[in-house]
Parts: sequence; C-alpha cells; structure tokens
Amino acid sequence: MVTELAPNRPRPELRPHWRRRLVAGFIVTVLGVQIGFALNGYRDPHKFFAFQPFNESSTWRADIVRVTWDGQRVPIDAAWAGYDWDELVGMAALRRPQRMRHAYMGVGATVDFLDDALDWVATHTPNDHETRYLEATVVSLENTHGPTTTVLRSVERTVAPDES
Amino acid sequence: MSATIEVETSGVEQRSPWDAVLDWTGSVRAVAVLRIAIGPITLLHLRPFLRDAVDGVSYDDHFWEPFIAWLPHLPGRLWFAMLWIGAAAAVLMTIGLWTRVATATTFVVVAANLLLSQTHFRHNRAFLMLVLGAIALLPAGRVLSIDAWWRRRRGLPVATDVVALWPVWLLRVQVCLVYLASGMSKLVDPDWFGGLVLWDRVVRYQHVLEPTPLPGWAVDLLTERWLYYAVGPAAVFTELFIGVCLWLSSRRLVAVWIAIVFHVLIEVSASVEVFSLVAIAALAIWVTPTTRDRTVLVGGDDTMSRAVMALVRATDWFGRFRIVRAAPSEPVISVIDRDGTVSTGGTAVGLLLSRLPLTFAVAAPVRVLASRHRRHGRAAATG
Repeated sequence: MVTELAPNRPRPELRPHWRRRLVAGFIVTVLGVQIGFALNGYRDPHKFFAFQPFNESSTWRADIVRVTWDGQRVPIDAAWAGYDWDELVGMAALRRPQRMRHAYMGVGATVDFLDDALDWVATHTPNDHETRYLEATVVSLENTHGPTTTVLRSVERTVAPDES
Repeated sequence: MSATIEVETSGVEQRSPWDAVLDWTGSVRAVAVLRIAIGPITLLHLRPFLRDAVDGVSYDDHFWEPFIAWLPHLPGRLWFAMLWIGAAAAVLMTIGLWTRVATATTFVVVAANLLLSQTHFRHNRAFLMLVLGAIALLPAGRVLSIDAWWRRRRGLPVATDVVALWPVWLLRVQVCLVYLASGMSKLVDPDWFGGLVLWDRVVRYQHVLEPTPLPGWAVDLLTERWLYYAVGPAAVFTELFIGVCLWLSSRRLVAVWIAIVFHVLIEVSASVEVFSLVAIAALAIWVTPTTRDRTVLVGGDDTMSRAVMALVRATDWFGRFRIVRAAPSEPVISVIDRDGTVSTGGTAVGLLLSRLPLTFAVAAPVRVLASRHRRHGRAAATG
C-alpha cells in the first residue's frame, strides 16, 4: 500500500509511538465491535448494525384489541378517546396492522416492535379510562412458510377506570 | 562476509502489517469528492425528520424505543435544533467551509439521531454513519473546499493533500464487511439462496411492474419461480464477489463496476432510502490515492484543445490526470500512463474516459471489450 504514494510527494511526519498504538487500538476496537454486531445479527431479530438487509420476504397482520376493565374486547379502529393507532405508533412498519402486509424489517423485528409498541401505547394514552390492556393476535408467514400465530399483550394499565 | 550481512540485516526494521496500515499515506482528494457527495445525501437522509420538525412532531410524540434505557431523554426541542444543526453542517461539509468541524458535527448528528431510538434504525443510515465517521477522521477539507481556497487567498502555505490514510483503510474494511455480512447471511439462508425471498418479493410487487413499459412477457418472466433458482445465488455471489474483489488490485475495477450496476439495480427494484447513493459515493475510497500520476497531452487546434482541456479538468474529479498542452500538430489526445506507456487515438480516449468518474460505468467495459477484440484480431492475424 505504501507504494501507492507518489514518489515526489511530501510525506507526513511519523506519528509518535503512543499515537500509533492508540490508532491501532481504535481500529481493532471498531472492527471488533462491527464483527460482533455482524455475528449478533444471526440471533437478534432486529439485526442492529449487522448489515443483513432484505433478509426476508415475510408478511404479517394483527388483530389488535383493547381489553376493557369490564372484559370487553374493542378493536383499535373503534372509537378510542380520540386516539388513532397509526398516529400513536408513527413508524410505517406498524401502521394498518389489520391488513396482511410485507414485514420489511423481517417478521421477528416487526413482532418485537409491536410488542414494545403495545406497552408504549398502553402507557401513553392518558385520556383512555376504559382500557385495562391491549392485546394483539399476530398471524405471520415467514418467507411464505407458516402461518404462525403469536399473541402479544401490553402491560396492564394503571389509569383508573372513569368513574363518571 | 557473513558478519557484514549480519550488520546490514540488523539495521532493517521489521515491518508488521500494522505498520503498512498506519504508515499508509496518500492524497485525500478522493475523500474530498466523497465528502462533497455525502453532504446532499445526508440532507436527503435528514429530510423526513426535518419534515416532522417543521410540523412540530417530535420523535417522542409517537412510539419510540431507546437503545439504552438509562440514557437521558432528549427533549423534543433539542432534537429539532440538533436536526437543523446537522442539516447546516452537511451543507458546510459539502462546500468545505470549516470542513473538519462541519464533518464531525454532521457525523455526531446522524449518529445521535440513529442511536436515539431503535425505531430510527435502518442499515442504510448505519452505513451513512460509518462513512461520515471515516470522513470526519480525515482532513478532507485540504482540497476542493472553501477552506483551501481561502487559505490560498490569504497567501498561507498550501496544506499538503498527502495525509495518513488509515481511516480510509478502516472504511475500506468496513465497507467490505457490509457486503460480506449481507452476502454471508443470504448464503446460509436456504430461502434466500434458493431464490424464494426474491421471487416472493417480485410476485408481491407485480402490481408495480405491470404499469411500467416492460412488455407482458418480461413481467411474466420476472415472476417465474424457476428464474430465481439462478437469480438468488447470483445476487449472493455478487455481494461476496464485491466484498472480496475490492481488495484485489487486479479485480478492483471489475468489482467497482459490478458494485455500481448492483446498486443501481437495487435502487430501481427496492426502496432503500439513501443506501444506493451512499454505497456508490463510497466507491471513491477505492481510487488509488495519488493525483496527477497520468498525463493527458492535448494537441490539435487551439479551440479544440482548449475545449478538451476544460472538459477533462471539469470531469477529472479525482485529479488522476496532469493536463498538458501539446503542439497543434500532435494528436488531439495522447495519454501517458503511470508506467510511461504512451497511447493515442481511441486507446487514449478509452483510457481517459475509463478513469473519469462520470464516464467510468460505460467506458470501462467498452475499453475492456475493445482491448479483447484487438487482442483476438492480433492473434488471428499472427495465427
């Protein structure tokens, strides 16, 4: 690689020894972390920093209901104290869950995000005094194999039922 | 005699592979070109977040999930400010004003935004972050920047563009790891290697293909399952080929060309945000980091030579050629290669165009085919 330097170019000053060691340590650390992430991608459904894009052509849909304090199961597209599922979750991957749709992040990551989103929604809807918890019944096909059904449940809400 | 040899060899310093990496120096010009390209790409990346900021929608107004739960929660207003600072820094990075600080700021903003929430994670964003990180480690404003221009204007000594290039080496390894990690994960997945994933995806998006100018038979062909028994492995081996062959100097140009075609095909067929743009721009790091090591001699009449020289100067972004005005009686274009070989006519034009970034994708394969054709012709004549 050194031969790629043009012969008549000024050469930058050599770095002190400690700085060379620091750079070498930095390079080893960065590459070690990146290889670690790449290997972790084989078990992590999100494959964070593992560079495994387009890894699946999976599909999923979910029936999400609010289970009220009196035991009713109310679909999320019914009236809900002014809340809207798509606005609450924001991310495109979780919107319109009722339709069978492409899990572009992979079905594992989608289900994991949906699980976390149920908890987030359950704890960020203070005007909702009816719901005890949210429940999602997810049907997924992983690369056309399946279907697999998974039931997810949010944390139990602490918002007191509306006494009025 | 043996004693003399001993004395001589003891004076030779043993160099480890690490020394080769740490001592690698060269021109930062290709990285400066990358820096200029990455600024607008960063703006494109930040655009959806900035749109939310304009609408007053913060990342925590809807579902988000921190990577690290104990980190302090970034207030929405601070997030808005961070995004605008990132956008401004990306512009400064591209024009090369306060380049080092601007590049580091752009990197910090893109990284902080990515690491703010798991819902912000995308592979293309992580790739952009890696590229920005490497550029930030280099004095990429030494050339092709307002900083460099301003320095010259003030009569200060010109800062050399020859610098330690270990960050480029690091980025080269990282880029290859991206191709290899992606290729390996698909290689070990029977659904991917057997073409099922690609075929199912094309069938699922057949409704997108149908209104395109593609004839009906082509759409039918593209949705045939058997085709993907070949396309699946081809896609996997393409990624692995790029990841390995970018390191082999004898195969590098082929790997770069295949990478360009590969990323254009991905861009056409999938929604990958800024991935294709970053990946194609990042190919600049494989340019040999020397400048003006080839010479273009421009002959012909005055008007013609001026036009050719201006054109070469404007399109030679990597500074590969020293441009010299030759006598009017000389050929319009002659090229002296690194090894001193002089070419004229079509060969010279082919070499020139195959080393200019805008014409590389077309000129490089044409040049290879023409050279093979000439070799076959010579072999037939002598045979």
